[in-house]
Amino acid sequence: MNITIPQPEVKHLMSRATFGSGIKRLSLEAKQIYKEAEKINPLLSVTKPDVDQSDLRAMKSDPSRKQMVKELLNKSKQDLMKLNVDWVEKMISEPTLREKMTFFWHGHFACRTLIPYFAQQQNNILRESALGSFRDMLMAISKNPAMLQFLNNQQNRKDHPNENFAREVMELFTLGRGNYSEQDVKEAARAFTGWGFNVQGEYQFRQRQHDFSSKSFRGDSGSFTGEEILENILDDKKTARFITGKLFRYFVSDQTVPSALVEEWGDQFYASGYDIKKLLQVIFESKEFSLPANVGNRIKSPIDLLVGLMLHTNGKFENPQSIVFLERALGQIVFYPPNVSGWTSGRGWIDSTSLTFRVALPMLLFGGAETDFEASDDGDANGLGKEPKQKRKLHCNVDWASLAGQFTKTSSDETIANIESFLLARPTTLANRKYITRMAGATSDGAEFIKKAFIGFMSVPEYQLC
Amino acid sequence: MLATSGTLLVPQFLKAFEQQNRQNDSDRILIVLQLSGGNDGLNTIVPYRNDLYYKLRPSLSLSKEKILTASDELGFNPALGKFKELYDQGFVTVINNVGYPNPDRSHFRSMDIWQTGSQSNEYLSTGWIGRYLDSNCEGCGSHTAVEIDDSLSLALRGERVKGMAIKDPAKLYHATQSSFYKTVSENHSDEPTIEYLYKTMAETASNAQYIYDKSKVVKSTLEYPNTDFAKRLKTIAELIQSGIKTKVYYASLSGFDTHVRQAGQQERLLTTYSEAISTFVKDLKATGNFDRSLIMTFSEFGRRVEENASGGTDHGTANNLFLVGGKLKKPGFYNQTPDLKKLDQGDLIYEIDFRQVYSTVLKNWLNTNDASIINQSFPPLALV
Repeated sequence: MNITIPQPEVKHLMSRATFGSGIKRLSLEAKQIYKEAEKINPLLSVTKPDVDQSDLRAMKSDPSRKQMVKELLNKSKQDLMKLNVDWVEKMISEPTLREKMTFFWHGHFACRTLIPYFAQQQNNILRESALGSFRDMLMAISKNPAMLQFLNNQQNRKDHPNENFAREVMELFTLGRGNYSEQDVKEAARAFTGWGFNVQGEYQFRQRQHDFSSKSFRGDSGSFTGEEILENILDDKKTARFITGKLFRYFVSDQTVPSALVEEWGDQFYASGYDIKKLLQVIFESKEFSLPANVGNRIKSPIDLLVGLMLHTNGKFENPQSIVFLERALGQIVFYPPNVSGWTSGRGWIDSTSLTFRVALPMLLFGGAETDFEASDDGDANGLGKEPKQKRKLHCNVDWASLAGQFTKTSSDETIANIESFLLARPTTLANRKYITRMAGATSDGAEFIKKAFIGFMSVPEYQLC
Repeated sequence: MLATSGTLLVPQFLKAFEQQNRQNDSDRILIVLQLSGGNDGLNTIVPYRNDLYYKLRPSLSLSKEKILTASDELGFNPALGKFKELYDQGFVTVINNVGYPNPDRSHFRSMDIWQTGSQSNEYLSTGWIGRYLDSNCEGCGSHTAVEIDDSLSLALRGERVKGMAIKDPAKLYHATQSSFYKTVSENHSDEPTIEYLYKTMAETASNAQYIYDKSKVVKSTLEYPNTDFAKRLKTIAELIQSGIKTKVYYASLSGFDTHVRQAGQQERLLTTYSEAISTFVKDLKATGNFDRSLIMTFSEFGRRVEENASGGTDHGTANNLFLVGGKLKKPGFYNQTPDLKKLDQGDLIYEIDFRQVYSTVLKNWLNTNDASIINQSFPPLALV
């Protein structure tokens, strides 16, 4: 009946490499994180758009066209909401290394689209190769309609090149700034001319728009295709090191990054043919990963925080739409990154207002508090829209009695210690512990004690870290 | 991390000079108003003599009879009546055609560019006001830049110092006064990141208390229009009057993304803007704060010159920017009306880089080293 808190090193691994162990996966052993990540369950929330935009175009003078466009926009807004909620719920029900990596790549290949099916399709590409080959992933993403649309490659034509995709693929996805010239961007853009997609979400190579003439790219010349440009980029170790550095900052430490080590791991990653899983194993098994200085001091992203709260309590939202409101209030809406460079990290998440909201969050979710917090509007008429202005209840249902059965020990001090070590990556201060004990101890009811202690530990700054 | 901080780039003698200067003008305030969604500048300040304007906007254009004429070429949207009164009194500078090279027509990207003060192909994680805090706000607290909102915009985020978002000073104060918040925020840790969180909590509590204590006794005697935006400006006026040491205020008005049925929607929003700012200026004057205030209004982009088929306009590029204040160097129209004959894919070509406006405001109004904040040196414009 009583739960056993995993060893510190397993707990650390679980909280970084996955969304955490939560209540249900406490007995999981370190090596099982790879096993449970093997299964690939795609996100299947929305279906292909059944209206062809060319039909709409043909209907130009038809009076019913306006109504159809309106309905289409409404439907896509609803579908985007559904997709959003479904993915976060998936992270909660499948908090595996694969899902965590899908989320990592979602931030790396940051992209927005108004077509829900495209967004889902891209998400499934990332999930599919989340632990596979970065080479395959880059190729697939580069031909993905959502990305081609987002980075304007549909407008990249022989007689009028658009450099957006060519630039970002090098600056943000592979080589990093400083490893290519402006001329390289121009030449690469020409190689990607004609890369487009149709409304069914299929990649299409438009020969007549492709520039077949010779290009000179990073010291080589030839009539390069887009694929060859990507090969050229992947054949440079700098790409492997760039990705490795980003993974190090994501999983190990965003404070101190040992460049020689990142270079060494990057070269191994390169030599393995960009095998992501192998690189992750090297990272998780390294000395650096478990250094005390790197444990329990990574600021959780809003999604980490939100998913963690659900996993720790096994809670269920009364209204799942609350998830979208919370993402917005906390500043991280999935499928809606701020720009192509992705979300901030670490201390970037913390300001006086956001931290006040973060520490009040457990009371809002589990303590019955209300909020009239209003998430700001980005002004986009096609955006997700704004929730009605009202005091909202974000109530989450939790079976506190069942948690009491799992956490209660013979003395209240032991129970408190049990809960603290379950919820926090690093112990909180003596003063805080005493305060929470006193607050929870005011009741003789077991479930109420557990509830208050949980809310207490979830509200201290240490809970912001993993 | 330290090497990138702005202060290290400023030689010591300049810093001393800055500090001296700051003492002289230490009470100056900047208020930034953001029109989110892309306000249609051409129907805000109307080039009523321009045939192309009427040709490209057969249904949306405003006739000479409707607008509030201000020069031989330009007039204000009729919804801006109160704002036009400020203009007539010499309290407004309209800068036409403000933008940046290689404009981005996406809302969030262009808003990022305006808020961070970056180039269009550059991604910065700090805002221009945030970097102002970084280089001028050693130990002076988050309340130096206050946004009237529930969450903090990128514009006010610095590397080391971030501004504060406060919708209601009393609400934030009460949130940080619970016995739990107080007990917890008094703690410390040896671990730097945890200590950072404790420190942020403690500072939030003390800033919230400072602002609340100072402002709770101040109540504006003027009646503001009954809009959310006007309420935000009222809060700013009360905070200014309270004497808190805030240098920059920030507030937004949203809804300008007028792809369909623009006329009614834009008029409603401009009325909201115009009436709110008129009362706000009246308030600042009544309390003797107008001369130390400069109000800057911008939008992330203007809109396409040609109207679309839904009675609206699509995303465009350059736009007008307003400065309101009692100490303007060149009230009226700062520069010529945009050239509608010379367009780039149907959009206006910018004439003044918005970062040059920022630089001018930083240097001439806030008396700070603008080049280290804007990352590029612009000669100041004759604005303030």
